[in-house]
Amino acid sequence: MPSSTRVCAMATPDAAAPLELAGAAAEPVRRRSHLTESLELRIPIAIIAFMVVLCFLGPTILGLPAPIGGDILDSNLPMFSAGHVFGTDAVGNDILSRLLHGGQASLEIAFAVNLIGLVFGGGLGALAAYWGGRLDPIIMRLLDVLIAFPSLVLALAIAQSLGPSKINTIFALAFFSVAAFARISRAATLQLREQTFMTAARLSGTPAWRTLLRHIAPNILPGLVTFALLGMGIIIVLEGALSFLGLGVPPPAPSWGNMISTGQQTLSASPRDVLLPSAFLFVTVLAFNLLGDALRSRWSVR
Amino acid sequence: MHRFKPVTFGVLSALVIALSACGGGGGNAADGSSSNNGADNPPAAKSGGEITVLEDSGFAGAWPAGLDPATNTNGAANQPMMDTIYGQLFKLVEGGKIEGELAEGSTLSSDGKTFTIKLRPGVKFTDGSPFDAETVKWNFDRSLASPCTCNPKSSWPKLENPAVTTSGTDTVEIHFTAPFAAISRSFISANLNWIASKTSFDKMGEKAFKQKPVGAGPFTVVSNSPSNQLVVQKNPGYFRQGHPYLDKVTFKSIGGDQAAYQALQAGQADAYEGMSTPALVDQASKQSNLTTTQMLSTSPYVIQLNTSKPPFNDQKARDAVYYATDTEAIRKGLFNNRYPTSQTFTGPGGLFYKPTVPGYKTFDLAKAKQLVSEMGGMQVTLGTINVLVAKQTTEALQSQWAKAGIKTKIESYDLAGLIKAFGGPWQSMLQTAGAWDPAIGVGVGFRFNSHSPFTGVKDPALDKLLAEGSGTLDEAKRQTIYDEAGKLISDKSYAPFMFAFAPANLAVKGVYGPGLTTKLPAVAVNPPVSWPDVYKTSGTGQ
Amino acid sequence: MTASPTLAPSRRDSTPGVLYSPAVRLIGRRLLAAIPVLWGVTLLTFIVVQALPGSAAQQLLGPNATPEQVQQLEAQLGTDRSMIVRYLDWLGGVLTGDLGSSLSDGRAVTEVIGSALGVTAELVLLALVVSLALTVPIALLAARRPGGVVDRISMAVSMVGLSIANYVLALVLVWVFAVQLAVLPAIGFVPIGDGILDNLRSLVLPAIAIGFPLFCFYTRLLRADILEQMQGQDYVTTARAKGIGPWRVLTRHAFRNSLFGLLTIVGLNLGTLIGATVIIEQIFALPGVGRELLQAISNRNIPVIEGIVLVFAVVVVVANLVTDLLYAVLDPRVRHGNT
Repeated sequence: MPSSTRVCAMATPDAAAPLELAGAAAEPVRRRSHLTESLELRIPIAIIAFMVVLCFLGPTILGLPAPIGGDILDSNLPMFSAGHVFGTDAVGNDILSRLLHGGQASLEIAFAVNLIGLVFGGGLGALAAYWGGRLDPIIMRLLDVLIAFPSLVLALAIAQSLGPSKINTIFALAFFSVAAFARISRAATLQLREQTFMTAARLSGTPAWRTLLRHIAPNILPGLVTFALLGMGIIIVLEGALSFLGLGVPPPAPSWGNMISTGQQTLSASPRDVLLPSAFLFVTVLAFNLLGDALRSRWSVR
Repeated sequence: MHRFKPVTFGVLSALVIALSACGGGGGNAADGSSSNNGADNPPAAKSGGEITVLEDSGFAGAWPAGLDPATNTNGAANQPMMDTIYGQLFKLVEGGKIEGELAEGSTLSSDGKTFTIKLRPGVKFTDGSPFDAETVKWNFDRSLASPCTCNPKSSWPKLENPAVTTSGTDTVEIHFTAPFAAISRSFISANLNWIASKTSFDKMGEKAFKQKPVGAGPFTVVSNSPSNQLVVQKNPGYFRQGHPYLDKVTFKSIGGDQAAYQALQAGQADAYEGMSTPALVDQASKQSNLTTTQMLSTSPYVIQLNTSKPPFNDQKARDAVYYATDTEAIRKGLFNNRYPTSQTFTGPGGLFYKPTVPGYKTFDLAKAKQLVSEMGGMQVTLGTINVLVAKQTTEALQSQWAKAGIKTKIESYDLAGLIKAFGGPWQSMLQTAGAWDPAIGVGVGFRFNSHSPFTGVKDPALDKLLAEGSGTLDEAKRQTIYDEAGKLISDKSYAPFMFAFAPANLAVKGVYGPGLTTKLPAVAVNPPVSWPDVYKTSGTGQ
Repeated sequence: MTASPTLAPSRRDSTPGVLYSPAVRLIGRRLLAAIPVLWGVTLLTFIVVQALPGSAAQQLLGPNATPEQVQQLEAQLGTDRSMIVRYLDWLGGVLTGDLGSSLSDGRAVTEVIGSALGVTAELVLLALVVSLALTVPIALLAARRPGGVVDRISMAVSMVGLSIANYVLALVLVWVFAVQLAVLPAIGFVPIGDGILDNLRSLVLPAIAIGFPLFCFYTRLLRADILEQMQGQDYVTTARAKGIGPWRVLTRHAFRNSLFGLLTIVGLNLGTLIGATVIIEQIFALPGVGRELLQAISNRNIPVIEGIVLVFAVVVVVANLVTDLLYAVLDPRVRHGNT
């Protein structure tokens, strides 16, 4: 049977420079009611909150069976069976339980990766841009190497040398997250550097760390946070792509990604195994995208 | 601006749930006995037509090392390609008999040490050169020196020097230092079975030859896109008059059972070899446009236990695993009762089949629990190859063993990882053991012989039995020996066996052939299809 | 972008302008900078692949090989030499244009990559054409009347499209068009030589699977940029003041500038676009570079892996270079020397 080892892909192209292009005035300046604005924010926030609560607290509240360790004789029960709302999979595990626990894994990974990217990547990029000089080109070259390096090879190497696990997945994805955030934060810091208030600060002898903390950080943070929200969706989808590779969360522990890649192998026999995690994935990613979009339009209309 | 969103969510979610509900969520309650729907009375054979055959890119659908029998390290898997280009010296027919194809016949000397092959007179390679003993000897020498697992030498007794001799232009002999009963069976799916034209090889050079080889088989190579697509067309000079039936065969590499199934449904191919996913086999058997044929299984699943390391150096621990494993439940829940149980290394499609072993420790949860508590608890790693069905089986085992108090960590490896794992401190592995004839190929020795790098057992008594089994010429006596070996394994609880698993072949209605729509034993995972006998009756070409 | 010193020569007499023009110097600098990047990538790949368990010989021979058989094949392939020797050997070959031979069947790596590259290039090109052909008119129409019907629908659709994983989209496309409707093939690639129509048919679904998310992304980008141009820039006000109609302003001026911006994004994303083809090629069984890379990694076929990685890296570097050039054209500040 197949080496079923597939590959890594970015579902959404990396959004390195768009901050400059689309960051400013993503929305036309027109009369927007407070209702629209707050709905734009509230609906995605509500969906995300619901998803998080559902995934992390749902299993306990609903009293669901464990996501692994099911009885093989209960395999492939159809939807709405007794005791299993979404039925069971080929080995007898409750699908709803797997969906919720899978959501925990996927959300945790996405959050960790984006946090690392934001902090380390954002910091690195800002530092490089602020100091310029010798440091900047070196860092940029390193980042270029990282970006030119096929993520596939690196991801596979990590999977096979270290063994697939949640931590290693986060490690592999963090590389690219850091690089992407660094590019954006560098570009944003560069823009800031040209502005007069920065020159003033420099001339008046403000120490570097202060400038970074009090002037640069607050100004680039909104853009970075927006990117992080969009990044949540990207990373969750990427984890799924990596599952086709053999990286990602190792089965039998579920994640939305590995449920899709495993379910895909019996798509014609039981499409529900792919449709359900895809639906959860879609709704969550959509919510994060909407939130990121709404925040960006808020923060750029000055 | 995005006000439609809430509505969309609602509609989408409802749609998804509705789709999932009606989309094949049900399990198969019916007994999934092998179905040969419609191929029991196939229409008469006719000439002409072209077919496209799909092969799994993880197995038969990859030929990265080229198609030269002496260097194709994937040869055993690529037997469809090799058989169409080179034909076979010997072939496997229904009933499990070996017949000569390009060889007219063979004899084994009474002391079992000399195997004489008589070649069919008048056969020519497609380049016109004669199919003679000297060319066959040249092929044998090359193939026996090849570092390929399709080189049968590794399971043979030591060869004489010289190993291969000729006598006249139509006789070739192989000389052993010890008797070997299974020699003619060794040829199936081995590189010796495929004879290349020396004339063309010398003319083209090794590199070019392996991309566009020349043999004396039913088909010749039209084009070869490595590990992607191979197109072969009818050899009008094939020695069997009126064969092959087909004008052209296109082999296409595809990424797995699901993709193959969809391609068949989309009308893009006529056949798929080696479907192993039980859910899809069941699905396919329900389609009226497909013939699904369950092949005869020869190699049972076995849970190898590493007797040289704790906990399995203690027989109690091994017994606990035997008692904790509910093979019947897995057979039923995961495989729909498709495969009969095996308690030793033989399968119903293979030789010397014995389904049960006296004294075998079957599922008994109470005993298992007791043994585990006597051991003070057990923690084990269970590994297997990275294939969907194998992984699902280990998950089921993990759940079952947990009920007896055995904490299991399951690992799945790709090929490289698996070999590395065997070299390290492994505890248990789900693999397959056995072969059509236990003395050839991967067989039994591979998993149970003390000297094998993949064994978990070091038992000289077992080694002796296996050696005897291969050296004895009398079939009845061999049966007794293998029964004894199975009992030894069971008494010492070396490795629980489960059931012998074989893939299914799928063909679109209108395409028929031995090994494709009729059952043959799976010699090397997939059974050897007899391509010159495959025909197509439907009017639509591909 | 690297900081650049002032570029204009101080004496404007006989110095040939072109040779010292900022653009040429920019290219020169970037090319020089690219070399360590390419070297770094290939070295990193070599180290990383070496760290993988198993070897080409082991992979070729399969699970049932004895250690002696593996050693024998390794000697034949030359993979029993030390890593440093092998890397230097390979590097030497590259500098003379020889990328080595595949460890699997001895074919030249250039031959292996060559045919596969054609497939992937056609796929990427089709995906880009499909997405841009849709992006441009829709973004224009949307920007023309912000908040109008076209705008709202296109924004909603693109938001949904961005939220779908491309592998899920591919599975859905196959199920609908290949299995249910049977109008397009589920797998396989038909070379152009066998008929242009069949060739395109075999690439339609994969191109859509890649192109649709791209379309969603580019549309939002282009639209936002056009709007920014229309609202913010002086020349727009001037044009309107001169009495030039809004549509004309849109298509003549704002659009042209925004298109530049879009093209630079396309360039920057080329690397990840190639990455996307890998999973799509696998699903649709297209014999492209992505699939070749996967097989090479699985087979530990180091020369082929290095060859493909090198090609990818070159593409990314060139794309970055072109992007930077476009930026230079677009942004006068860069053109004249301050970053």
